[in-house]
Amino acid sequence: MKAVRLSAKERAIVRKDLRGIWKTRMVRLTVILVPVLLCFAMPAFYLFLAWMVPETELEGTRELAAMLPAAAEGLSERQLMVVMISRLLGPMFFLMIPLMVSTASAACSFVGERENGTMETLLLAPVSLRQIFRAKVTACLLLSLITELVSLLAFSAVMAAASLLFEVPYYLDWSWAVLILLLSPGVTLFGVTFMVLISGRSKSSMEAMQTSGYLVLPVVLLFVGQLSGAFTLGPGLLLVLSLAVAAADAVLASLASRAFTPEKLLRA
Amino acid sequence: MDALTAEGLTRRFGEKTALSRLSLALEQGSVFGFLGPNGAGKTTTVKLFTGLLTPTEGSCSVLGLDPRREAEKVHAQCGVLTESARMYPHLSGLENLAFFGALCGLSRAGARERGEELLKRLGLAEAGKLPAGKYSTGMAQRLSLARALLGRPRVLFLDEPTSGLDPESAQAVNAMIGEQAGQEGVTVFLCTHQLRYAQDLCGSYGVIDHGELLALGGLEDLAARAGCRTYAAFRLAEGETLPGFERDGAWLRRAISSEDEMPGLLREAVAAGRCVYEARIEPPTLEDVYFRFVGRGEGGETV
Repeated sequence: MKAVRLSAKERAIVRKDLRGIWKTRMVRLTVILVPVLLCFAMPAFYLFLAWMVPETELEGTRELAAMLPAAAEGLSERQLMVVMISRLLGPMFFLMIPLMVSTASAACSFVGERENGTMETLLLAPVSLRQIFRAKVTACLLLSLITELVSLLAFSAVMAAASLLFEVPYYLDWSWAVLILLLSPGVTLFGVTFMVLISGRSKSSMEAMQTSGYLVLPVVLLFVGQLSGAFTLGPGLLLVLSLAVAAADAVLASLASRAFTPEKLLRA
Repeated sequence: MDALTAEGLTRRFGEKTALSRLSLALEQGSVFGFLGPNGAGKTTTVKLFTGLLTPTEGSCSVLGLDPRREAEKVHAQCGVLTESARMYPHLSGLENLAFFGALCGLSRAGARERGEELLKRLGLAEAGKLPAGKYSTGMAQRLSLARALLGRPRVLFLDEPTSGLDPESAQAVNAMIGEQAGQEGVTVFLCTHQLRYAQDLCGSYGVIDHGELLALGGLEDLAARAGCRTYAAFRLAEGETLPGFERDGAWLRRAISSEDEMPGLLREAVAAGRCVYEARIEPPTLEDVYFRFVGRGEGGETV
């Protein structure tokens, strides 16, 4: 445990970074709006529609859900809509949120600090580069994980209501366990380290955030790809993906810490 | 042990040589003025000494430490004020100092106390609770100086500390720097365009241009090498002259090799019946020396 315990100086940087990130309007909007929309408003609206619209008008849902190999037989259209949220949309959102929040906060923490001219001041303080790196990555991870936790609570509340209203089993299963406990944190770290790597090449935090937008695309394709019937994102495949992301994290973290030098940080 | 040393310190950015073969050694407690026009290599030198840049060739040390390999230790001993190192705009002045105080290893209460003390001495006590983003240029520079002094540094790097400041801010900053320079054992490395101020404060100087160190030494030594003379000057009644003197406005001037010549010249003028209104010795100023060296440097001649 000693290796992950932060020193007083690192904790001071984490506190300062969290405050700075929160003060940035763009990041604050990302941290608040994206989870509220994706994990609460959209599923709730979707379920509200399922509840209100006559079942005869939900035939398209069956066709779509039929492509999901996990779609249980004998379920009504309304129940299939709940399954689609829990199997298709929900997991996708729970990878998009950590990715978006981690990249936005890292853009603010790394590129934004250079934009403000405060990175140089920080580098002139009696703190090692390693400590600055650890503290900044920790701040981004912390914010992302808190957002994810709040999102999970909101999503769970909506799905609990869905479970009661439509008489379907509660959404949490082994796939979700792997997703929340392994893949999602892995993706968070990926977002932060990716942003550190591109920070030296980005002229502004906005440019860095736009570049990171490309990372969301594979996530969307991964989940939409299930509809082709070629693969199912079950616990096994999600575990393999988690391991692959963890390996990528290790490589990126190593590259990012090597790229974390005063000259590269102050460049551009 | 010297406070600062540089041996053949060189830094190139692509084809451009920002600093070329700088060699110097400054004793602890010395106050050094590093003079040169914009783009001469002064900031590059400060960044090399503080580990923000890596030398292309050569080496440097601060209190015996390598700034690149032991940056954390060097920063614990140094206070650095540069134009490009800013304070956090969303934090108040005092919060900024409390944060950097924590990074200097001060306790929360200790950092706050030290911050309040410095803000008061720099005339920012009332602005301490304002966000630093709302500070004027002068206030921001004073806050940065307070930050540089937080850890009671043994070496102070000041890169154009009064550039663009209003007179009040410049006075506050200069007074504080003077106070630091007067402290035993504190070494000051001052990059400035304020030649008169540098002459009052510094004991030795380096003149740099186009990355080349043109001259290094005390004022007298530099003046002698630059060929700058000391003058005896008299202001006499209108129309009066003295043999061997040249007119310069209302004054008659003549180069002397020593101040000891002055009483004799004054006696001669009075004996010759001249009405002497004023008499003064004009030693070479840092400004004279600076322009002599930089002028020569621009002409391609190195002294």
